[in-house]
Amino acid sequence: MAESPRTVLEMRHITKRFPGIVANDDVTFDLRQGEIHALLGENGAGKSTLMNILYGLYHPDEGEILIGGTSVQLGSPRAAIDAGVGMVHQHFMLIPVMTVAENIVLATEPTHAGVMLDLGAANESVREISERFGLAVDPAARIEDITVGQQQRVEILKALYRNADILILDEPTAVLTPQEAGELFGIIEGLTAQGKSIIFISHKLNEVTEVADRITVLRRGKLIETIPAAGATQESLARLMVGRDVLLRVEKRPANPTDRLLEVKDLHVFDDRGIEKVRGLSLDVRAGEIVGVAGIDGNGQTELIDAMTGLRRAASGSVAVAGEDVTTDSAHGHFVAGLGHIPQDRQRRGLVLEFSIAENIALHDYRQAPDSRLGWLFPGRLVERGARLIEEYDVRGGGPDTRAGGLSGGNQQKVVLAREIDRDPRVLIAAQPTRGLDVGAIEFVHRRLVEERDEGRGVLLISLELEEILSLSDRILVMYEGEIVGEFPPSVSEEELGLAMTGGGRGEVAAA
Amino acid sequence: MSEQNDTLDETPVDPSGLGPEVKQSVLGKYDIAQKAGGLVAPLLTALLAFAVGGLVVLVTTGKNPLATYRAIFEGAGFNWFFPWVRGAERASAALNMQQTLIIATTLVLTGLAVGFAFRCGLFNIGGQGQYIMGAVFAVWIGSSMENLNPFLHVTLAIVAGATCGALWAGIAGLLKATVGAHEVISTIMLNWIAIWVGVFLFGLGGPLQNGRQEFVPISNDVFPGAKLPVFWGSSVFQGLHIGFFMAMGALLVYWLILNRTTLGYGVKAVGFNPEAARYGGINVSRNYFVAMAISGAFAGLAGAIDILGWQHRLATGDITGATIAFVGIAVALLGRNTAVGIALASMLFAGLLVGTSTRNLDPEVFKPQLASNLTLLIQGLVVLFVGADLIVLWLIAKMRRSKRA
Amino acid sequence: MTSVALPSAARAHNGLRRVAWVGIGLGLVGAWVALPPISARSWVWSLVLCLIALVLGIGVVIRGERRFGGFAIASGLLGFGLAFMATLSGVGKLETVVVWSALLASMLRYATPLIFAAMGGMFSERSGVTNIGLEGMLLIGCFFGFLGADKFGTWYFGLLLAAVAGGLMALLHAVLSIHLRADQIIGGTAINFLALGLTGYLYIDLYGDQGTPTDISSIPDVNVGFLDDINIFGTHITFLGKVFGHMNLMIWFALILIVLAWVVLFKTPLGLRIRAVGEHPRAADTVGISVYRIRYGAVVLSGVLAALGGAYLSIGFVDSFNENMSAGRGFIALAAVIFGNWRPFGAAAACLLFGFSSALAARLPEYSESAAVLFQALPYVLTLIAVAGVIGRSIPPAAVGRPYKKS
Repeated sequence: MAESPRTVLEMRHITKRFPGIVANDDVTFDLRQGEIHALLGENGAGKSTLMNILYGLYHPDEGEILIGGTSVQLGSPRAAIDAGVGMVHQHFMLIPVMTVAENIVLATEPTHAGVMLDLGAANESVREISERFGLAVDPAARIEDITVGQQQRVEILKALYRNADILILDEPTAVLTPQEAGELFGIIEGLTAQGKSIIFISHKLNEVTEVADRITVLRRGKLIETIPAAGATQESLARLMVGRDVLLRVEKRPANPTDRLLEVKDLHVFDDRGIEKVRGLSLDVRAGEIVGVAGIDGNGQTELIDAMTGLRRAASGSVAVAGEDVTTDSAHGHFVAGLGHIPQDRQRRGLVLEFSIAENIALHDYRQAPDSRLGWLFPGRLVERGARLIEEYDVRGGGPDTRAGGLSGGNQQKVVLAREIDRDPRVLIAAQPTRGLDVGAIEFVHRRLVEERDEGRGVLLISLELEEILSLSDRILVMYEGEIVGEFPPSVSEEELGLAMTGGGRGEVAAA
Repeated sequence: MSEQNDTLDETPVDPSGLGPEVKQSVLGKYDIAQKAGGLVAPLLTALLAFAVGGLVVLVTTGKNPLATYRAIFEGAGFNWFFPWVRGAERASAALNMQQTLIIATTLVLTGLAVGFAFRCGLFNIGGQGQYIMGAVFAVWIGSSMENLNPFLHVTLAIVAGATCGALWAGIAGLLKATVGAHEVISTIMLNWIAIWVGVFLFGLGGPLQNGRQEFVPISNDVFPGAKLPVFWGSSVFQGLHIGFFMAMGALLVYWLILNRTTLGYGVKAVGFNPEAARYGGINVSRNYFVAMAISGAFAGLAGAIDILGWQHRLATGDITGATIAFVGIAVALLGRNTAVGIALASMLFAGLLVGTSTRNLDPEVFKPQLASNLTLLIQGLVVLFVGADLIVLWLIAKMRRSKRA
Repeated sequence: MTSVALPSAARAHNGLRRVAWVGIGLGLVGAWVALPPISARSWVWSLVLCLIALVLGIGVVIRGERRFGGFAIASGLLGFGLAFMATLSGVGKLETVVVWSALLASMLRYATPLIFAAMGGMFSERSGVTNIGLEGMLLIGCFFGFLGADKFGTWYFGLLLAAVAGGLMALLHAVLSIHLRADQIIGGTAINFLALGLTGYLYIDLYGDQGTPTDISSIPDVNVGFLDDINIFGTHITFLGKVFGHMNLMIWFALILIVLAWVVLFKTPLGLRIRAVGEHPRAADTVGISVYRIRYGAVVLSGVLAALGGAYLSIGFVDSFNENMSAGRGFIALAAVIFGNWRPFGAAAACLLFGFSSALAARLPEYSESAAVLFQALPYVLTLIAVAGVIGRSIPPAAVGRPYKKS
């Protein structure tokens, strides 16, 4: 960086307002050729908004964008692509039923005589650029048949095929194993060596300090500071990011586990496509402990949760709650047996957004007294209970008759927590309980889970966030390809966990 | 940052990446629209439809649309509500009003049929088939067992009609629940099957064709004991029968089921968000079936009441031309699936249907056959504007803004 | 290279499909031997053939190819049912009802409006827009096709007017479902009502109570002379001439349309983009494809095609118009699209199946006037079975029916 390379991109005084919120407030940002510039911030800090503006998906209310020193209007992704900007979205923009080559050439297809699609040429050029940049993929493979890591390479190739010089990577490691993430870092360093410039969006402090040349921190839509990565510590970055010192560890007393409350034995579960996603998994959770299940997305967690909560029938094996076998029971049967379930997706599964808070709280119990008798519902009683729990769980933004969809994400999650915990379950299964929440709400949820543990409930925490697993769990199980491949104490290092999460130490599986 | 904002960077979970806005279910949008627009939105919708319909009248015939609408208004007997209308005019208005209420009875029920399924997230376009099935069984029972006690006879015929409607719709519900067949296509196919079955039964040489008139494709007449008593007007000239009260009762039942029973809670939960309902331990498939069956029972009831109340016989022409159930779709959509809304919307459409009938519309003002197609057109426009709720909401927002300014 | 990349599972399925095709064929032959010209009087042969078909089908289903296995099973069951009924009937009657050349020619006539509408519906659905309004667009085509042929005096103006009217109706559906993000089912229903009201209104307004005139210019038949005099070893073969020799121009267009639809959808960049928009609109948007433009194009095309099918119905087939004459054909076409797994040849095959059942129903009054009425319901029953997915599930385009909002 000594000879101060030329600036390829400048975003000056960008302001973007959405109804009720300023997502980007006078943000100025620049990118030099061949550098990796990290954009750091919490969920909701405005990182993705800024990058969506650069990619032509949003239009800024104020400010201007200069690429290569000239002012450009990026009215659409097409314009951004033509200006040399490429973006790898956090949720891949790939069509699962089409091949790698079809996805890459889409919208700039090679043709025979300008009319007929020339897939042979498409495969050929994909193979050519994948060799040039060292990103091995099979052009003829279908997207749904390749791994997430390979899919990400396809996304990068898509940008390179369109001659992108500026590459935006939006939370690229969210779906990767630590090892795959390492490979990715290698790839992007290779790209910078070939003159590409990279914007790296993340909220993970460790990888930002590891990979970036410079770091720009955003908070609540405002630019806080742009600093060189050299010399930045995780603690100093964390302070910039949230504006105060964060509690990286949740305070809790040592666990005091007693009775076995949840016992899963030799469980086998198939997904909708008939693929075995849980293969002979066993685990148990005792009263008074939090058991964390770590693992990369897609290793059977969803199917495990569904089978444990009665939403999917297990092919074989058993699930028992507080000694009672509930393997073949309905979802309702599981709840009656003493299971509480905080689902991974509160908007799709946890709540009926159009129902009121009171109605949502009655979701499991509306068929029983006192909510109803002989099929006759008593709405007044629902409202009474709703009002009590709103008070108790500090749900803000409305009363018992307010639509759940009108609440913020954090308050929606409080409604779910209130419903699940107020039923006094013996075991609580919490799946990704803090996904998409801000720091305040995350703290609330974490504190509450520890409290429930101390009350003598068993808590099974299934999360993709290693940090969450490490800070809350009393025991950590690692799930890989449908099995538990290791058990660790909470003092384990991220590296050790990461190795286990990729099937390390189980050579024969990893090779297959 | 306030918690309001945490959805901003929260990426959609939907793997298709369609964004959170489409996770909003149709019913949800509907729900919000209702709360945003209140009574204004449906009124505006109807007004828009009538305005466009009037434009069609003006362009195609050059006649004054207002005069046409006025003639339809009086043909429907709505002037009966005006206290200053007296004498012979009042008598004829009363006759017309009776007709309108007879049709409104049917429309309330076919509207409820559409509305109830809609609350479960299902679009029951098969009211026609369910109506025909209800009518077929009502006429069959009504025209057999001559010496049965009238009360029993009527009850039996009505229960049979409603049950058959329920079973017919239940087929579509069952297919939806078990193999996920789309209810729109299956109910339409069931409509056509019902039509051909009906034509077969009462057509020439059919098993239930009239015993005395060998060359008329019509059923036997319903026995006097199975006819519904008339409480307003003449029992000979199609006065208003007590089926009207049954429809009012059905409205109450509809409201109670949806708002005061666990069944209604389940149906609504499935309609809004089947995934959350499943998570809450609600059997989604069973609710699809039950909602379709209840919906079909309303439509079957409509068919039975029409037969026992004023038609008293069923011709194959009635079966092939039975479009009244389709009007129920417009009724339910305009009435926003609420009991009160359906009651009001059915009055509007009943007035349109009666007011444009050959018997009630003065051909000097407007050709009745043309006018009845105008009704179809207005009905289509109502559905169009309900579907395009964004237009109506935009108009409301604009009105509010201009009021504030 | 593709053979190397082909996963072994896919290759196994190709083998299973071949077995299933054999089963389907055996079922058909089983039915055929009991019908003229062979008219086997014993059903034993059919039973043997159809049992083999059934066994093959079950075997294929067990090995995982449920869709085609299901077809083989259905072919075996239906084939034997048909053969059994045929053996119960007198040969004389059988020979007046089952005249293959007439049945096939009639099948093509009934199938043509369905094929036009189904190809249109397929493009619309492939781009991600559900088109329940196909029925209304077909009806619009019926009326305006007739109107054009009547008022301008030539059938091609009829076709032109039908295409324009159908396109405009589809444009309305497109605006509703794309820009206004209305529920596509409700929007389509509105289209159907509007079409019913509009055509009924104009029909009464223009033709009064007299009905449509009979002396209009209708779409001509294409006479392929040489098909009439094919001689093989001195025998005069009339079969081909009777089926294909005098088909209506629109039937030829329908057959060409199927091939054309396949080429466009799977062999051109445009087809790739349409499919991309229907599967994952945001992915298409981020590489610069205009999702709205593709969807508008596909929906309007669906209206034009459905209306052309309707115009064939009124001025190529029955030479008249009456209210609601489309009689659910738009919905049957939609079911054919689903049945055919959103593929041109599959959808066309389903249309031919529905056309055949209509053709058969039209000839059955020979047996019993009143029972034949029941057979009019046959296409609808078949459609019901088809959408029920009893015979293997189809997988729709991932984003079909979901409005897309640009950010």
